[in-house]
Amino acid sequence: MRTTVAGKKGGARDREGNLTFQWISGILLTIGGIFFLLPFFWMVLSSFKPESEIVQIPPTFWPATFTTYNFSYLFENMNFGVYLKNTLIIVLFSFGGLMLNALAGFGFAKYDFKGRNGLFVLVLATMMIPSQVTMIPVYLILNSLGLTNTMTGIVLPGLVGAFAIFLFRQFMSTIPTELLEATRLDGASEYRIFLQIALPISKPILAVQAILTFIAGWNSFLWPLIIANDESLYTLSVGLSLLKGQYAANFGLQMAGATFMVAPVIVLFTYFQKHIIENFTISGLK
Amino acid sequence: MKGFMNRQAPYFFIAPTLLLLTLFSIVPIVVALVISFTDMDLRGLANWDRVSFIGFENYVEVLKDPVFLKAILNTLFYVAIGVPLVILFSLTIALLINLGTSRIFKAFRVVYYLPSVTNIVAVAVVWSYLYNPALGLFNYLLNSVGLPDVPWLTEPTIAKLSLILLAIWKAIGLNMIIFIAALQGIPKTYYEAAQLDGANTWQQVTSITIPMLRFAIFFVSITTMIGWLQFFEEPFVMTEGGPLDGTLSVALFIYQNGFKFNNFGYAAAGSFVLFVCIIAVTLVQLRLQKNESDMT
Amino acid sequence: MKKTFAMITTVALGAGLLAGCGANGNNTEGNTGAGNGGGKENEKVTLSVWGMGEEAKTLPKLAEQFTKENPNITINVQALPWNQGHEKLLTAIASKKGPDVIQMGTSWIPEFADAEALADLTPYVEKYPELNPDNFYEGAVAAGKAGDKYVSSPWYVETRVLYYRTDLLKEVGYEAAPKTWEELSDAAQKLAARGDGKYGISIDPKEQSLGFMFSRQNGAEWFTAEGQPNFSDPKFVEAVEYINSFYQNGSAPKDLGLDIIPAFKEGILPMFISGPWMIKLIQDQAPEIDGKWAMAVLPKKENNISLLGGSNLSIFEYSKNKDAAAKFIAFMSKPETQLQWMETTSSLPAATAAWEDDKLKNDVNYKVIGEQLNAAQPMPVITEWAQISESYVKHFEVIYRNNADVKKELESFNNDAIKLMK
Repeated sequence: MRTTVAGKKGGARDREGNLTFQWISGILLTIGGIFFLLPFFWMVLSSFKPESEIVQIPPTFWPATFTTYNFSYLFENMNFGVYLKNTLIIVLFSFGGLMLNALAGFGFAKYDFKGRNGLFVLVLATMMIPSQVTMIPVYLILNSLGLTNTMTGIVLPGLVGAFAIFLFRQFMSTIPTELLEATRLDGASEYRIFLQIALPISKPILAVQAILTFIAGWNSFLWPLIIANDESLYTLSVGLSLLKGQYAANFGLQMAGATFMVAPVIVLFTYFQKHIIENFTISGLK
Repeated sequence: MKGFMNRQAPYFFIAPTLLLLTLFSIVPIVVALVISFTDMDLRGLANWDRVSFIGFENYVEVLKDPVFLKAILNTLFYVAIGVPLVILFSLTIALLINLGTSRIFKAFRVVYYLPSVTNIVAVAVVWSYLYNPALGLFNYLLNSVGLPDVPWLTEPTIAKLSLILLAIWKAIGLNMIIFIAALQGIPKTYYEAAQLDGANTWQQVTSITIPMLRFAIFFVSITTMIGWLQFFEEPFVMTEGGPLDGTLSVALFIYQNGFKFNNFGYAAAGSFVLFVCIIAVTLVQLRLQKNESDMT
Repeated sequence: MKKTFAMITTVALGAGLLAGCGANGNNTEGNTGAGNGGGKENEKVTLSVWGMGEEAKTLPKLAEQFTKENPNITINVQALPWNQGHEKLLTAIASKKGPDVIQMGTSWIPEFADAEALADLTPYVEKYPELNPDNFYEGAVAAGKAGDKYVSSPWYVETRVLYYRTDLLKEVGYEAAPKTWEELSDAAQKLAARGDGKYGISIDPKEQSLGFMFSRQNGAEWFTAEGQPNFSDPKFVEAVEYINSFYQNGSAPKDLGLDIIPAFKEGILPMFISGPWMIKLIQDQAPEIDGKWAMAVLPKKENNISLLGGSNLSIFEYSKNKDAAAKFIAFMSKPETQLQWMETTSSLPAATAAWEDDKLKNDVNYKVIGEQLNAAQPMPVITEWAQISESYVKHFEVIYRNNADVKKELESFNNDAIKLMK
């Protein structure tokens, strides 16, 4: 599995040094970890507090009055089934986008073709303009394609992205070219090389990008809101944002909503990092 | 036929993505560029006949705008301090987690990733408590060791640093998992060989791990740089650019002019000034990378 | 020159999209006239209504009643989040495709009226007498008027009043709420003198309209007879100096970072100025101080005119069902409907007749609001106002943080305002 740095062949002194190192880094990470966990726990615990306790002075960490009111309010006031369905459809489509990104990343990484560098800078350039500036033009394009109020219109603008293409390109550029050549000599098509060599080798980064894709799809907010002319196309995030009043902050509800949204992400992340990252062996590269 | 496929393959691979990017990113950017030379506002949006070209006036105005210049300086401050720290911290944490042998280290991956998935409203509320001048945890801790209060969000320079701290906290998770994924790709045999040569942990990290991670470091530094030059969310939720524009970033300036006040032409001009800066920085980075190795 | 813009943009959008854009232009032709967009009287229509936030979720119930009365009109309500509703409206305007009826927060009306995105309601007043401006609070009508056009019909209103802790004010010698500026300042200082960490009043320096509200109470005219900004007028300066005095003598906190309700409950901030939504929040979140707080109309200088806000209803200019839309707005304007709406959402009716109802007349808190509504005016309905008031906030920040010279700073603010209005 993972590399144990001071291996069995090292001397006793090494092992001792390594043990000290393990302890120090463990302690450092724990201290930092508390700092990283605190807001998250605060969010989860707050979602079980009544509003008056959340804003109380001084604040409580553990709920003094435990309530599930925020969650029950959430589920009663949201068109839950519809929003969940839409959200899952978007997630599903964005995984299609993930494959397109991987394909493009592979193209940029392992082929030398005319205009490659120029095109790649062009791809990067799309990350450099704040998305607010292009929102209205994108909407007008979708509108003239007749895609307003459709799921296609919601999914398309975010399907591919420079970040993912760049990420795949960086990682796939470390795949040894000889490996691809060897497969090519065996008579494999370029698509098969991508599917059978490049993708499996890129599993760790595929896992990372899968998590990011899931999160982006799961939280998708702006395009569902702007493209939908009907609440039947709203997603969970849009539904949750409707619960925020004009004047009242409704922290309890917001925390419950946030907790609800983040739970599947954590489950998925734990799963991915356990089953894909850890089981990955680099043997194919040896 | 085979050779033909080989030559055409990359184009087939990138075509669908480029098509979508052209339609939903590049064309809109070109439209925004056109808009930046006009006096487009909400009236103009409703009726294009009311829009007129005003040449470089928006650019001249925005570069004369003291608020915009202040936003540029603030953004440079954010980038100069934030970017190196994000890379340093996420790399260090990734290495420590990866070097750890105990089971607990696996849990740390999740722990350090949590801030990047925690809802921004929750983040804002919690950090407002931490930074609260009267009841905040940070000032409480300072007081308890006999130190005076710190104006975390109310003194321009300290407020910038406070936002950087928050942004680093949020940004580590994503970059950390990218580094961890990259660490998985380093063949174990390299370490085994080094161990046979008697290299200690530190030597292995500097002579094997870091060089092998170059491509990931390159990725993280470019995307972090691009991201931080568009620093937006933290001042947006925590300070709205205050105190006295002390935390106003260029992206927030663009948002306020574009969406709050509907000066679309002006905001577009501002964003192309930002665009030119970002692309210049990125091209320099790409060039440096190329000189260093032929990895690209 | 102007034509070239449209051309270049269309070229940039790509030749394939040309057809689409052209078609959109054609679609809107023919319903620009006010009266002819309605179609036949009994034609089946579906109205699309955009409402804001959670309150829009209760709209369908009222819409059902409306459909019962008018079986040929069905209503499709779409709720938009408060924070991002603006973005959605921008895209609707850009594409000229949007709802028929739209909820307008009063602060949004100027910009959208200026963009001619809201239809003039005047032609419908005769047919639907419920829309007659005389039915509503004067301030609410003023907020919906752009020039000589009546673009937005009042729906629900809010105004700012003084909330105070009766018990704590009694301790410093105030049996009733401060009635004048002098009393307010005096009470705040006495309350602040209770000790460290205690203040007299909360004045949110980021609230864009408070400075203007106080200056209006001081009799300041915001614009000269020629329509030029007049924010360095002595009356305006005097008002800002008055507000600033609260920060400088420590009776209002500069950066407390506390939520108002717990601070009110703990007595840290025993007075604040806010709107009617606070009633329910205090009752829910601080039941401990029941009977220890009250509301009062604002203290007076030359007058005590408060701010008027709330939401109006407008017909989207590009709607094809304008007549049905007007009918729906008329239905929403009926005092009965507005009272029913109040019961589910606690928003206060804009129709004055509704205030004759016992629920409003006999409630001690609502009575204060009702009284203040008679002295409540909106901010000016001009497009630049949003930016002017934002600019004020920035200049005021310099004043209260650095205790800068008020007159000088306001002169600089006035210059900025002149630039914004040119």
